[in-house]
Amino acid sequence: MNPVAERTIARNDFFDFTRALFDLKKVFGKPEALSDLRVIEFGTLFLGPVTSTFLGEFGAEVIKVELPGAGDTARSLTPWGQFWKNAALSWLSESRNKYHVAIDLHKEKGRDLFLELISKSDVVVENMRAGTLERKFGIGYRQLREVNPRIIYAANSGFGQWGPYTTGRASYDAVAQAVSGLASITGFQGHPPLKAGIWIGDYYGALMSAVSILAAVNYRDKTGKGQFIDFSQSENLIRALDWTWVAHGQTGKNRERYGNRDRAIVPAGVYRCADGFVAVSALDDGEFRGLAKAMGKPGLAAEERFATVEARLVEEHAGALHAMLSEWAAGRKVAEVEKLGTDLAFGAAGVKKAEDHYRSRHLRERGSVWSVDDAIYGEVVEYGPIPKMSETPGRIKWAGKPVGYDNEKVLAEILGYDYLGIRTLEEEGIIGKWSNIMGRKPPEEMLLKEE
Amino acid sequence: MQKDESTDKLKWEAWAERHTDPADVRKKDEALDGTIVLDLSQGNFAGLFCSSTLGEFGAKVIRVEPPGGDVARKYSPFGLKVRDTGFAYIAEARNKYHVTLNLETERGRTLLSSLARKADFLVETFPADHLDRLGVGYRQLSRENPGLIYVAINTFGLYGEEASKGRRSSDVVAQALSGLVNITGQPENGGPSEHAVPTKHGNWMAWYSGGGFASFAALSALHFRHRTGKGQLIDVSEAESLMRFLDYNCLWYHALGKNRERVGNFDPAVFPYTYVRTKDGYTFLAGFSDINWFALTSIMGNEDLRAKFPSIFERLKLENEKQIFEALETWAKEFTSDEILSRVQEYDRTVGKGVVATGRVNTPEDTVNEENWWKRKVFKKIIDPYYGEILLQMPPWKMSETPPRVKTVCRPVGADNDYIFSKYLGIGPSELSSLKEEGVL
Repeated sequence: MNPVAERTIARNDFFDFTRALFDLKKVFGKPEALSDLRVIEFGTLFLGPVTSTFLGEFGAEVIKVELPGAGDTARSLTPWGQFWKNAALSWLSESRNKYHVAIDLHKEKGRDLFLELISKSDVVVENMRAGTLERKFGIGYRQLREVNPRIIYAANSGFGQWGPYTTGRASYDAVAQAVSGLASITGFQGHPPLKAGIWIGDYYGALMSAVSILAAVNYRDKTGKGQFIDFSQSENLIRALDWTWVAHGQTGKNRERYGNRDRAIVPAGVYRCADGFVAVSALDDGEFRGLAKAMGKPGLAAEERFATVEARLVEEHAGALHAMLSEWAAGRKVAEVEKLGTDLAFGAAGVKKAEDHYRSRHLRERGSVWSVDDAIYGEVVEYGPIPKMSETPGRIKWAGKPVGYDNEKVLAEILGYDYLGIRTLEEEGIIGKWSNIMGRKPPEEMLLKEE
Repeated sequence: MQKDESTDKLKWEAWAERHTDPADVRKKDEALDGTIVLDLSQGNFAGLFCSSTLGEFGAKVIRVEPPGGDVARKYSPFGLKVRDTGFAYIAEARNKYHVTLNLETERGRTLLSSLARKADFLVETFPADHLDRLGVGYRQLSRENPGLIYVAINTFGLYGEEASKGRRSSDVVAQALSGLVNITGQPENGGPSEHAVPTKHGNWMAWYSGGGFASFAALSALHFRHRTGKGQLIDVSEAESLMRFLDYNCLWYHALGKNRERVGNFDPAVFPYTYVRTKDGYTFLAGFSDINWFALTSIMGNEDLRAKFPSIFERLKLENEKQIFEALETWAKEFTSDEILSRVQEYDRTVGKGVVATGRVNTPEDTVNEENWWKRKVFKKIIDPYYGEILLQMPPWKMSETPPRVKTVCRPVGADNDYIFSKYLGIGPSELSSLKEEGVL
């Protein structure tokens, strides 16, 4: 057999192996990595709540505690105020897999109920302003560890639990983008700094908060000890600004906004094509040879100013290359550039929109776009669990739910309350359900059925 | 945590500082102490960031480069270097032991297999089937070490229609695929523009997101292994990692057939929540829920504005957002960003009904000059014996029992060959030098 044919067989064999290993149909037959963890979340908007969402996608039992009635403000966050089946679009996706209970923590009995839950839990996530849970409710870390010394407590905030910016200073995602320097390095010179089109400080912050919780869980596996974690979303974005700080230390110069060009890898950027935009990059000299060929100028790769990674980074050369690429891309279609990238082995991909994701067979096969057959909302299609794990794959069981939807289940199963006990708590206003406003209540048809 | 009577009477902030101040990290435990990571990343900062994270939590990271060093050492703004290494790599080389191995040689692959038998994690960023074809992929290595947690980072994944095509990627390619580029930036107004275009993030956001999810999965797998002894294969795409942060993007299309579009510094789902021009730059202002809208309009002294748009739903209409934005800018341009912050804090102290969040849009220089971050030990200047004084951003977590830490900055290519190969494989200097001559190291 010739070497090429042999290689092809080996390749097919590998991809057959991975396809079978990660087959979506097998997901629910496999165990979950975090199925032995119970997480109590008392959070609002996204930085706290999404932390527990990520843990819940991999098996943690997440109990989201809201105040009865209006619940989490996130229930109002939907594009241009468009609700769907009485729910905010961001809610359905982000509150997936959770149990939704509503407890009035302003009341002593409510706080007792909360502490009962804590005594049977492993992790607490909150994202109030520093010290709020202790000062306002008397259920901060110091009180919770009395009830459960093994508890891992993640306090997520804008500026941390201590330090000059802590006191009285609220934060949101876009504050973190602002104070970290991220917004100022995004966008074009001579034009305003840019906020991300998404809540990157919250979502990426939530992910990294979850990472520290998992480190603490692994430590507890060995020692039995819980701990307290102070996590600031601004500091997390500062951490993610790659070479910015080393460069500042070395040169004393500010990092500017460089628009769509990467100034540390050349070429790498976003270019306008005849029918849209495409990202193009060459990470090493081999990829650059492919790109030069695609541009119809294979000789470029041999020119001294472009032949090596270092040579291409010289600003004058980088600028010349950028001009050539801009001109070349302008005369081509996105699909054409993508195909050249595949055939000639350099980086090329169109700038994708929601519809492209929705229709992508690749993303559906991988479960990165996931269709949930939800008991309340019917078919819900949203982004799925991201890391693919062969033994303990993530999964979506259901979408977000109305305020207090799981009160009975949680109180009966975990705390052992009987029907009458639950009704009493309800009558006393210790626990409650949704108020009649958008984003809180079930879909109309379900409300009608209940009446 | 041990109960400590003497500190229990402290105010919350003082207590938190006492128990999580990074000044004390040296005396505390490390969460991942005793674990070993092999990092084979090549030209990819998702992989490098993943092993940085594991290393910050105490794992021993063995960074395996090809004999000439990883091409990632060359990525640097305008090609600037500290001695032999670019700025970006310097930022993500922390705590790592640096060895070389030529995986194109039989002996190089044998040495890798031997190291992998002792490892808990392996991180790689090669084309999907590359190491498998060399005989040192997950299938081969896990046979000898069933507890191995093997993390493959690849934009197009290890399976799915696009996986086997051998497509190349980078941070910007992953950003484009994620959908984020499409919804960041100013909307096009009239004809084609140079700057009102889909805009990439300034930093390597896709690589950092991918590295973050890789660490998340690796630590989930470690916890599972603790219960079962089983390792596993993990497949992380940087594009999908960033895509996951697009929240309702996909559901909006499914539910109402809408593609999200660029709205500049506005936000389709929450308003006011935007950057506004001030006397000295830009600042963020928000007042979304009714009570916070009350706070914002009180600070502005503009009751008319409050009355004109009384509910969230009115404030979320695009035509209204424009009017509110104008009012915000008219007010804000009379003050510096810091004056606005003072006013917000004053309101918080005296009235306190509702909350306004604000913050100056800092340049990196502004940020690095703010005392707050230095007090919180977010930045640190470290003297490296080879690379000199380096300003580094520290791990973002403060933890009471197992705080993360940075012990070393960077190492030259192959600088730890002696130490690592003798410690783990019993290979001494004479064999090392012949391996070097044979081109294995």
